[in-house]
Parts: sequence; C-alpha cells; structure tokens
Amino acid sequence: MIALETRSLYKSFGSLAATRDVSLAFEAGARYAIIGPNGAGKTTYFNLLAGNLRPDSGTVLFAGRDVTGLDVTSRAKIGIARSFQRNNLFSDFTVRDNLMLACALRAGTTRVFWRPMRQTTSAHAEADEVAAQVGLTDVLGTTVRQLSYGSQRQLEVALALACKPQVLLLDEPTSGMSPEETARMHDLINAIPRSLTVIVIEHDMDIVLDIADRIIVLDYGRVLEQGTPTEIRASKVVRQRYLGEPAAGVSGGPRP
Amino acid sequence: MMASRTFIRRSVGVALVIVALVAQAFAGFFAQELIAEAAILAIFALSLDLLATCGLISFGHAGLLGVGCYVFAGLTVLMGGSANVAFPIAIVAGAVVAFMVGLFAVRTTGAFFIMVTLAAAEMLFSWGYRSPMFGGANGMGGVPRLNLTAIGIDLNDPATFALTVIVLCIVIWLLLELVVSSPFGRTLAAIRQNPSRVAALGGRVFFYRLAAFTASGAIAALAGALKVQHINFISPDLVSWFVSGDVLIAVVIGGVGTLVGGPLGAALLILLKELLSSTFGHWYLFLGIVFACVALLMPKGIVGNLLDFYERRITRVAASRREPTGDAA
Ligand SMILES: Nc1ncnc2c1ncn2[C@@H]1O[C@H](COP(=O)(O)OP(=O)(O)OP(=O)(O)O)[C@@H](O)[C@H]1O
Ligand SMILES: [Mg+2]
Repeated sequence: MIALETRSLYKSFGSLAATRDVSLAFEAGARYAIIGPNGAGKTTYFNLLAGNLRPDSGTVLFAGRDVTGLDVTSRAKIGIARSFQRNNLFSDFTVRDNLMLACALRAGTTRVFWRPMRQTTSAHAEADEVAAQVGLTDVLGTTVRQLSYGSQRQLEVALALACKPQVLLLDEPTSGMSPEETARMHDLINAIPRSLTVIVIEHDMDIVLDIADRIIVLDYGRVLEQGTPTEIRASKVVRQRYLGEPAAGVSGGPRP
Repeated sequence: MMASRTFIRRSVGVALVIVALVAQAFAGFFAQELIAEAAILAIFALSLDLLATCGLISFGHAGLLGVGCYVFAGLTVLMGGSANVAFPIAIVAGAVVAFMVGLFAVRTTGAFFIMVTLAAAEMLFSWGYRSPMFGGANGMGGVPRLNLTAIGIDLNDPATFALTVIVLCIVIWLLLELVVSSPFGRTLAAIRQNPSRVAALGGRVFFYRLAAFTASGAIAALAGALKVQHINFISPDLVSWFVSGDVLIAVVIGGVGTLVGGPLGAALLILLKELLSSTFGHWYLFLGIVFACVALLMPKGIVGNLLDFYERRITRVAASRREPTGDAA
C-alpha cells in the first residue's frame, strides 16, 4: 500500500526552482532516506509533504486521498508529522510541558479549560513514554532554553513522535549531535515500529545506508536517482554527481 | 521550574488580595472610590492579559470595555431594564462582539492586530461621540447599579461597592489561573511562543486565538458594565484610546503574561495618578516618566522580572548543588 505519494510536484521561490517535477511513492511501513547536497530542495520537499508550503503545481496524496489543499494542521491531524531541521520548540516550557502539549493536541484534549493540565493523566503518561523512547527522561523537568543542543534535537524528534503519526518526516535529526547522541538516534529510528512510514533527510551516510530501504537522491530540485542502498552505491550518476571520490564515510556535501 | 514560577506568581496575587482587602477595610469615603476604580481597571487588565497569553497585544481593548458600558447603560437607562438582567447581557454582548471582530482580527498578529483592534475601538468611539441617544460627547447620567438588596447587599454604599468589585476581581483572577494552567491555557502559551509549531502538531491556532479573544471580550465588557455603574454615567471618553493605553500600561508595568501583573499595575497606576495629580500640574508627564523608568529597569514588568530573578537564583542553587556530586563522580 502507498502511504504517501507526490505527482509532478513543482515549487519555485521567485526564479529559483526548489522542487522540479518530483513524483515519488512511499510504501507504507518502509524507511526512506532523502539525500542530496545543500540547497537541493530536501527541506522544501518536506514542507510540501507536510503542508507548510503549497506546491505551484502537482498533487500530494495521503493513503490515496488528494491532500494538496490541506494545510499543515489538517495534515498533522490525519497522520503526517514532521521534525524540523532547525529546532522549533516551545522554549519557555519544560521538556515535559512540550511533550504533554503535543500529546494533548493529538488526543484533542486541548479544548479543556476547566481543569489543570497536570491532571490530564493520559498526556502525562504518554509524554513520559516518548521521553523514554528518545532518552530525555532525566531532563523532563528542564526548561528547553537550558537544555543542551543535542537534547533539543532529541526533543525536536520527540515532538513529532508524540503525534503518533502514520508518516514520520525527520529533517536531519542527527545534525549537530555528538557521536553518542547520533548513535542513539540511529537506534531510535531503527526501533520505530513498522506501522509507521519513515522518511529521513540525513547527511550521515552510515546511518542512511543502514536504516533506509530505499534512498532518494535530490539534486537541484529534481530526483537524480532512487533505489536500494546497494543500487545507489553502485549508481554511476550518483557517484559522479554526489558521492564523489571517497569510498567510505562519504558525507552529503559541505556541512555548516 | 514551571511549578515555582506559578507558585511565585500566585503568591504575589495572594499578597495583592490581602493588601486590597485590608486597604478597603480601613479606607475612608474617597479612598473607596479609588479602590473601586482600581479594581475595575484590574479586571480590565486581566482580560487584556488573557489575550496576551496567546501572544496578542490589543490596542483597542477599550472598544470591548465600551460594549459593556453601552449595552449596560442602554438596557438600563434608555430601555428601563433591570440592572441585574442588563449585567449578564452586557457580558454576553462583549463576547459576541469580540467573536465577530476576532474573526477578522486574530488572523493578524503584531502591528496589524494592534491596528485592527484600534480601528474597531475607534469606530465605537466615534459612534458614541455622535450618538444623541447616549448624550453624544456630553454623555448621559443615571446609570443604576446592580440590585443585590435581596441578599442584603447595598451597592449604592461606596464601601460595599468597592468590596464587591474586589471580590469579583478575585473570582475572575482565580478562574483565569485555572484557565491558564489548563490544557487550553497551555496551548495559548505555546501559541505565544511558537504558533507555527502548534499548527504543525495539529493545533488550529486561529480557533484558540479566537476563543481567547472572545473570553477576553466578555471580561472586558464585564469591567465596562461595572465602570458605568461605578460612575453612574456613560460617555464616549470611556471608549477612547486613552483607556486602551491605560490598561496596556497597567499590564506592561505589572508584567505581560503573568495575570497578577495587570492588577498590580492597575493599582499602581491609580495610586500614582492620584498622588501626582494632586501634587503637580503636568501630572501626566510625570506619570510617563515614572513608567518609562520602570519599563527601562524592568523590561518584563514588575512581576515578570521578579519571576526571572527567582528563576535565576533557583537555577544557581541547583547548579551549585550539582557541582560537588559531579566532582565525586
Ligand atoms: N522560503 C524560501 N524562500 C526563498 N527561497 C527558499 C525558501 N526556502 C528554501 N529556499 C531556497 O530553495 C533552495 C532549496 O532549499 P532547501 O532548504 O529545500 O534545501 P535543502 O536540500 O534542505 O538544503 P540543506 O541541506 O542545506 O538543508 C535553496 O536554494 C534555498 O535557498
Ligand atoms: Mg534542509
């Protein structure tokens, strides 16, 4: 079954074509990695999938239904959740408050104004669960502003997980993380149940080659190549245009 | 850290309640009038701060206050209705008008929101200014107070009226404390910090802002209905942007988003106005200087900066407690 699909999607910013004729289908339960150099249009593609941006033309289908006209909130409600490349958190809240809010929004209990949030036991338990999943249990009571950058990245992913989505979009979840945190995130993504479809934008090729069932290479807004990790490694075009000369530990272009 | 911030905030509130009740108990005739004025402004400030919880700053809040003023005065003086019936109707009218204005206004934020709310308030002001029914610019007297003689309360007694308004203010404060701690209120706070993430998590930002604006309108109208009862008079000056400015100053001086800051600022504003106007000729100038100084010294308002001060101290204490264990490990 196809969980998510795009058909000839186009998006331009002025004269810059950030997404050009992208047609892709994502199998339910599979893992996808999107790679490509900086500015290739990876984040823009996520914005189109999640509804943060409207395409200039083309369609987005979720479980066979045309969702091109739905905004980001409606798409979140039907089961598309994303994490952001730049931390996009509630910085005055504690980690627990961030997660409880996400859980309450998903459960639809945020219209309750007559009883304190901390009495919303379901959100409380779910927040603890998600925190344990990403390794934030020790800092549940810490305000986001006082959190290390790595923990903030973990929370970024945790907020998306708290939505209990069907399709999870992770935009460079390991960027700026320490090797230990990266390894932990790697394990986390591997442990995500197969009931979820996961699409990850990632520059760390070790992770990409390990987690992905299929890899999509974007370049100048176009799909340059797609296939299994083995196929991508063998692809001549990708080797020339993207992977370059080095054999091992290749990274996806210059990092900031 | 959240719990301690809430605890400090509420402690300030309790202290303020005690001061108000003690002052009211010992106040003479004239001071009762000031206390009632301050308590009404405090309710109005609470309504503005509820809106600020979701990141919206209104510069036309007097318009919603004015809905309460005009509906209450219209129903009682012009239509001869009972004050006890007019009061709840005025509150509902405030909610309805806020809902309708909100349908347009809350789609915008920042400067645009300020302009839309200001424009809406000025529309009411200019209508009131030219309305012969309400005496136009001269205003109209004879606005009655609620009739609570059935339960042995005579609101025409200044001390009783002041105490009643204080009690109403306390009730509204406690209700809003509950609201801001609820899932709905936490969503408003999240929207203030990061509306786009709330949207990405499936929260309909427009809905929450509209709900906050509507509730805020109801409370503002309640304050307005109390205002005209207090002075037994209605005039378009009650809706002027000066009034919007006063309440904004009260909330900013007290601390935006702290709930108790607004009433504290309201009390200080009324007190300072009284002290300065009886001492100086150009008292508004002095008032401006005083508030500019407060704003420079405490950019987050009195309560806001107090909270930050305590939070830093708590963090420092926690850090110094952690260090020794870190060395031992
Ligand atoms: N909102 C926007 N307005 C104008 N230009 C934009 C906007 N968003 C992205 N772009 C441009 O579109 C191109 C693609 O950007 P995008 O962020 O999708 O790349 P990316 O593949 O995610 O890159 P990176 O690896 O650096 O995150 C870039 O040239 C970028 O400058
Ligand atoms: Mg990107």
